[in-house]
Amino acid sequence: MTINHHPSDETLLRYASGTLEPGPRVVVAVHVSGCRACEDRGADFEAIGGSVLEDIEAVELSASALDHMMVRIDAMSGKDSARTVGRKPARAEIGIRLPDVLDNCDVGGWRWIGPGIRFSRVTLPGEPEANVMLLKVAPGRKLPKHTHSGREYMQVLSGSFADARGRYRPGDMDEADSKVEHQPIVDPQAECICIAALEGQMRLRGFFGRIIQPFIG
Amino acid sequence: MYAYADHLFSRSTSLPFRPAGCEVSLNMRKTRTSLSADEAAWLMAKTANERDRAAFSALFDFYGPRIKAFMMRSGFPSCAAEELAQETMLLVWKKASSFDVSRASVSTWIFTIARNLRIDRLRRENRPQVQSEPFDPSDQPDEPLTGEAIVISSQRAERIRAALAMLSAEQAEVVRLSFYGDKAQTEIASELGIPLGTVKSRVRLALARLRQILDDLK
Repeated sequence: MTINHHPSDETLLRYASGTLEPGPRVVVAVHVSGCRACEDRGADFEAIGGSVLEDIEAVELSASALDHMMVRIDAMSGKDSARTVGRKPARAEIGIRLPDVLDNCDVGGWRWIGPGIRFSRVTLPGEPEANVMLLKVAPGRKLPKHTHSGREYMQVLSGSFADARGRYRPGDMDEADSKVEHQPIVDPQAECICIAALEGQMRLRGFFGRIIQPFIG
Repeated sequence: MYAYADHLFSRSTSLPFRPAGCEVSLNMRKTRTSLSADEAAWLMAKTANERDRAAFSALFDFYGPRIKAFMMRSGFPSCAAEELAQETMLLVWKKASSFDVSRASVSTWIFTIARNLRIDRLRRENRPQVQSEPFDPSDQPDEPLTGEAIVISSQRAERIRAALAMLSAEQAEVVRLSFYGDKAQTEIASELGIPLGTVKSRVRLALARLRQILDDLK
């Protein structure tokens, strides 16, 4: 599988440095988990993080810092077996196998939001306000022309779509900032399922906002 | 790259210990000033295989103060930064056996742990009402690496250092500063008296140049 559309270096840097917002972080994680090139570049950026850490001007710890550390290590020993079992995520049957990185997320059932378009809400543990969703669009369906206020991240899981910038197939990630005005058209062979996130919390304007607002507002 | 899987939407950690850094003290622990990559890897191996506390202490004396500095530059007050340094080093001890020198250098690995804890802490600060389970990054192992993707970590670290050295001082600086988050970028902008957008476009330019250099070095 050839991947033609990747997150920008800027986005990968923010991903690797841990400064990308939760929603986009998940979408980028899905991409990286299936893209060798981005995994490699992400590792490069993490290595920059390593050198930042080495070179930073150190700030001394308190005199008792190491003693505290040892006390905590002692307190920890023997507790390893008492590992808490994670909460089981609520998953609706949505008809496709989702990438492993979404294992901890709740996934809602498909909901109709317009002719040929359905969405399913993806909820990240601890991040109830992150705007992440699955979108399912029927074959040949044209999405409304739209721009967005924040950046939109969309990773194709199945099927494909095309717009003026090219064709997006499974594994491809579309990163569109507010300057991009596009009208994706799903290819006629199959429905297209994507995972998408918008930058910003509960700032549901733009395309997703217009479509989804009535259901969550 | 180190998988985020276990940290992406990680659950909050509780901090039962209040580190001593919260009271102001003139008496500080001595910081280790240098540690080569080989030494660090050797100390990690001793920590992992023999649970050697002396080796771990040496790592602590080098990385602890640097993690604290990293957290302070990310916007945390000194006390919280010291707490996060403690948390990070506790995970270094706990997860020592999962450190894989072929995957990343010790510094890079510790950076990823600190990064994940920072994400976790910011999440909790933004949403203190959300109750969730304790955070344990050892829950899920990183997925195994496959064949040609493995670039020996020391080569990667050297290549990155060489590449950063080839950027202009200003470009290297904006790349480094982006690791401290948007807050740091806002501060650069006001320090230099330029709009935030200009800082961001400088980051973009620096990254384009970095990509060229890294591709040439491959």
